Formats: sequence, structure tokens, C-alpha cells
Amino acid sequence: MTVLSANGISPELRDHFAAIADILVPAYQQLPKASDVGVAGVLLDRVLAVRPDLTEVFLRGLVATLGLSGRDAAEHIFHKDAESFDAISTIAAGGYFLDQRVRDLIGYPGQETIHNEHPYALPGYVADGSLQRVYDRGPLYRPTPGKEVEKHPRLVGGPR
Amino acid sequence: MSTVNTSKDDVDILIVGAGPGGSVAAYELSRQGFSVVTLEQGFQTDRNTYPGRTPEWELLTRKTWNPNPNIRDNPQDYPVETTESDINPLMFAGVGGSAILFNAQWTPLLPSDFRVRTLDGVADDWPIDYEELLPHLEDVEQLVGVSGFRGTPAHPPRRDFPTPPIEVGELGRRAISGFDKLGWHWWPATNAIASVPHNGLNGCTRTGTCAYGCPEGAKSTTDLTLWPHSLKAGARLVTGARVREIEIDEQGRAIGAIYIDRTGRERRQRAKVVILAANGVGTARLLLLSQSGRYPNGLANSSDLVGRRLMFHPYSAVLGAFDEDLKSWRGPYGQVLESYQFYETDKSRGFVRGAKWGILPNGGPLGVSSIAGAKVFEDNSLDASWGESLHRNVATRLGRCVVVSIIGEDLPFETNRVVLDDKLVDSDGIPAPKIIYKIDENSRKLLRFHEERGAEFLKAAGAVDISVVHQMRDSGWHLLGTAAMGNDPERSVVNRWSQTHDVPNLFIVDGSVFTTSGGVNPTASIMTLSLRAARYIADQRRNLKVA
Repeated sequence: MTVLSANGISPELRDHFAAIADILVPAYQQLPKASDVGVAGVLLDRVLAVRPDLTEVFLRGLVATLGLSGRDAAEHIFHKDAESFDAISTIAAGGYFLDQRVRDLIGYPGQETIHNEHPYALPGYVADGSLQRVYDRGPLYRPTPGKEVEKHPRLVGGPR
Repeated sequence: MSTVNTSKDDVDILIVGAGPGGSVAAYELSRQGFSVVTLEQGFQTDRNTYPGRTPEWELLTRKTWNPNPNIRDNPQDYPVETTESDINPLMFAGVGGSAILFNAQWTPLLPSDFRVRTLDGVADDWPIDYEELLPHLEDVEQLVGVSGFRGTPAHPPRRDFPTPPIEVGELGRRAISGFDKLGWHWWPATNAIASVPHNGLNGCTRTGTCAYGCPEGAKSTTDLTLWPHSLKAGARLVTGARVREIEIDEQGRAIGAIYIDRTGRERRQRAKVVILAANGVGTARLLLLSQSGRYPNGLANSSDLVGRRLMFHPYSAVLGAFDEDLKSWRGPYGQVLESYQFYETDKSRGFVRGAKWGILPNGGPLGVSSIAGAKVFEDNSLDASWGESLHRNVATRLGRCVVVSIIGEDLPFETNRVVLDDKLVDSDGIPAPKIIYKIDENSRKLLRFHEERGAEFLKAAGAVDISVVHQMRDSGWHLLGTAAMGNDPERSVVNRWSQTHDVPNLFIVDGSVFTTSGGVNPTASIMTLSLRAARYIADQRRNLKVA
């Protein structure tokens, strides 16, 4: 059996992975199934490029279950080889959530960069009095024995 | 193997470890005119390599940027034997230390934390108090660029923070509504994250990947804040330098260290004063490795307490899913809010001491089965987490979660300890540390109580689904207590100045010296204690008994 082709993982194993990935990440409402977005194609290569450490255990599970259906293979690996299942499921889900169409459908823009244009503006929790209510309930801490409990003189932005 | 002397001259100060504690000492002492060399086993990290802005970031956090050295498995990491531990220790080797991968929650110890024997009848009082540390804390905060809002009733009055609080976002507003309804304490969180440009840091852009390196350069790590100043003041930083032994002279005083560089060559650096800052596991390991005829049980270990009293802060989390888009992948991560409502002892609860809560976001789509990067929602059935369940979990949790992060006080026990493993070695063949640690009954009760209160809070805030993660194994961020501070040389390793009782020119400035753990993230107190120790060394420059 050919595990690695000239381009990397053999088409046979990619097909087998696609069948397993579709069990782990099936179509659901508007969301496509894993193989529809190419988790066994370009996304597999992309994931393994950043996680080459997964390759060996990933292939181990696939090779051990070649010939089984996607469902049977997934069940077998899940129950018999937790390390390989972790690699296969991480690659399947990790690749799936890299797909832009999937990201759009689940409403995830990726980690954002948000510049605060007014970092010194009075926060809403001061303006609406909610922080003042916490302040007014008074100190919670136990002082060093022999010291008195002290309160901050006033809340910044609160009533003078 | 022959050992090469690295410099023509002895230096005044040798520091082992360029994390938060070691960096503060290097900063203070180099600026006070001492010649300083710091040996760091890791390297300088380029913030452009942090994964937060790449689409693959969640995949990378599970390996390359994982805080568990046994998973990360870099050559500069040493392995840790953990089969006899309930908690895995987490750390990072590099300039900036484990703070490169910390959440940057800036939570100084409170007054009662220093007096647990007097107030609660457990463990030991520290030989110092809150008031003694406060001026040093306030100075450290200016360097760190802490963001926060002055006035919390959980702390005594104190100086304002150098940068304003980070925006709390939709998640914070939802959480505030829950606290407000219950009348419980909350406050905009203090973080070691600058909200505006400050001392080499950029302002936070809420990328939300603080725990895996801040790509914005807003999270405060000493590679950005302190080392530029220290190097300018003449300090020397040697990276890729793994120390295997602290050397002593015939009087039993420290004279320097032997280390192995990344070419495999063994080198020696001599110094008048040696400061250890290799974290609560690494420092204990190094002291135990430094055995000699004079110190057969390891250096500074006449009390037999080196490595003992290990404390981690057992950790639980409660996750609430809301029927509302909270964009809970946004930062800070970090903490958005903090609560000390149940921090102080109430013996009617059936345990002593308490915990601090941090209110956190929960990350991206792969993270819906995780807390802080550790998989916690797996099950015995394939379909429980996969198939349509995966889609349902993403729909329910992605962007819609509030996490209550519970940091509980860990009491010190001499049976919880770091020892040298008799088989496992690092990439240089040096014996690796082994952790022996069991969670005690007080911690179990404490966590259960806080989990119940956390769920109560989330319900009040309007959560439609609540999940509890009890005592997470991958939560050993805080490595404390293995060279405890105290006045009695038979009951402690260092004195009130972080100076070892046995070796007068050997100091320790990391979490090892914590007498007790408190229930807060320790970096603020580690850096404060280090600054205080460095100032003591400078003040005592003519009186210290050096080699």
C-alpha cells in the first residue's frame, strides 16, 4: 500500500480520511460537511504544514482502519487509539474551521484587532452607576492584624 | 569535559533565569551600577512569530505555543516527570520567561494572604506584610504598564495604575449584570497589559490570544519592558545557557554557575552574588542538583525544605453559554472583570481561605471543547463531542460564552514537592525534575463551593447553559513555595529579603519563596518581591558576605 505519494499522502488515504472527517464534521443545517470544503485536500496540507508533529499518529489511525467505512473507522480509532483519534479529529476540525465559507456561516471573523479610539473615556459602568454600587458596599478585605480597614477616598468619576 | 570560563572578570551579580523575577533584579541592579550577567536557557522570542493573527492560531496553541513543556518539547525546555502529580506544571523557557505564555492577570497578594496562621490558624505567616511590599509593588506597576481602575474595595487604598482599564465589551457588560443582580463584588480587571502605549508596549487591541504570546506587543513581558533598559545600562544577557550547578567556595559561599551553551560546551560564570529566578520547579531542581561535600542534600537545603511545600493553585472553571452574541473570542485574555466576593475565609463554608475569580472570554471554534487550551469537554461516546454535537456546541458557545476562572488558595504541604527524577534527563543529560503533588481536602471543598457560586452568578447573568470543569489537570501555571520565606532557618529556605539562610550571597526571586500561595495569580508579587530583594542587595553592597 502506498501511504505517501509524490505529493505527500496518497489519494487512497485522503479518501479514507475524508470519509472519517465527514463522520466527525457532517453537514448540518446550512453548514457543509468536512469533505465539501476540502479537509482531505488542500486544508489537510495546510494543517500538517503547521502541525507536522501530528503526521505520524494521524497516518497510524488511517492505515489501521483502511477498508472500513468512515463510521466504523472513526469508532474504531476513537475506542482503540486515543492519540491517533486526537490527531485525526484535530486535523479534521482544525482544517474545517480554516475554510472561509464555514467561518462566514458560523459568524467567526477570526481574532480581531480592535483599536480603542478613546481609551480615557469614562467607562459605561461608571456612567451608569453600577461600579458606584460596588464601591458603596464598602471594603471586603481583611486588613493586616493591627491595621484599620480603609476605603478609597472616592470613586474616580463618581459623586464627589 | 573541560569547563571554559566565559569572561575575564568576575561580575557583581549572576542571575539565573530571565523571566519576570530575574528580569526585575537585572533591571534594578544594572541601573544601580552593578555588573550583571543573566543566564537564560531559552531565547529571545520574536513577537511576529506569535500565532494570534494567523487563521491557524488554535492549532498552534496545541503544540508550538502550548504552556506544557512536555507537549511543546523544545530542546530548550526540560521535561518534567508528572505521573505522581494531580496537576501538570506549565512554563516557558525564554527571555520574558513563562510570562510569554501567561494570561497577564495582575493580582497582587492581599493583606490577609500574609497572615494565614494568625487569621485562619493554617500554614504559616509570611515574615513580611502587605504594607511593606506596597511601595515596591507600585513602582513595579509603573514599569509593567498595568491597566486597571483604581478604587476596588477588595484592596486597601493605593496609587493609581499607569494605564486605564481595557474595554470590557459585550461579555463584560453581560457579566456585570449578573454581579449587579446578586450584589456581589466585581471590578474592571487589572491586567499586565497596557491599554495605551507605555514603556515599550503598544496599547491592547483585544486580539484575545494573550496566553499564546501577544502579537500586538501590548502584553507586558520583560523582553519588551525591562531588557531594553537593562542592556542599555550594561547588563549582559546570555541565551541558550542551561545552568547545571551553582558552585561554592570553601566557605560555602556561592561563586558562580556552570552552564551548557547550545553548542554543548560547558562554561563557567563567576560572580560575587548569585540570584536564582528559574521558577518554583527550576530553582528547586538547580538547588538539588548543586550537591557538594558541604551541602550533600543540595544547596541552601539545611532545612530539607528545598523542593517541598509545592503549591500550584488548584483550578476550576465554570462556563456559561448565553442566547446572545457576546463576541467572546475578543480579549483581553487576560481577564475582563475580577471578583473577590468569596476571597476571604468564612469557616461556615467548611474550608479556609478562598479564591479570586477572573471573568474571561473563551476563544475560537476549536476552543469550544476547551478551557484555557486544555480539552475538557470530551466524553466516552464519539457522538457526544463530534458529528452534529460539534456543530451544536459551536452554535451554542462560539462568541456566546462567559468563563468564570477560579484561582483557589493552595495550602502548603511538605509531601507536595519537586525532586530529581532518577531516570528522566533533559537534552543535556541533566536530571529532570519530578513532581509529587496531591490535592488536599480543603482545596476540593473550596473548588466545589466556588463552582456552585460561579454557576449561581452565570444563571443570574442569564446563561442558558452552564458547564463546570472541576480541577483541571493542565493548570499548573503557578509554581510556588519550594524555597519558602521565613524567619526560622529550620522552617524556611530564605529570609525576609529572599536571601538563603545557608548561603549569604545566594538569593531567590521567583515563586519559590512564597510562604503561602494566596488565591491570586502570582506574577505581580513575584516581581515586587524581586524588586525589593534587588534594592536590599544594592543597599547592603558593602555588608554582604560575598565569595
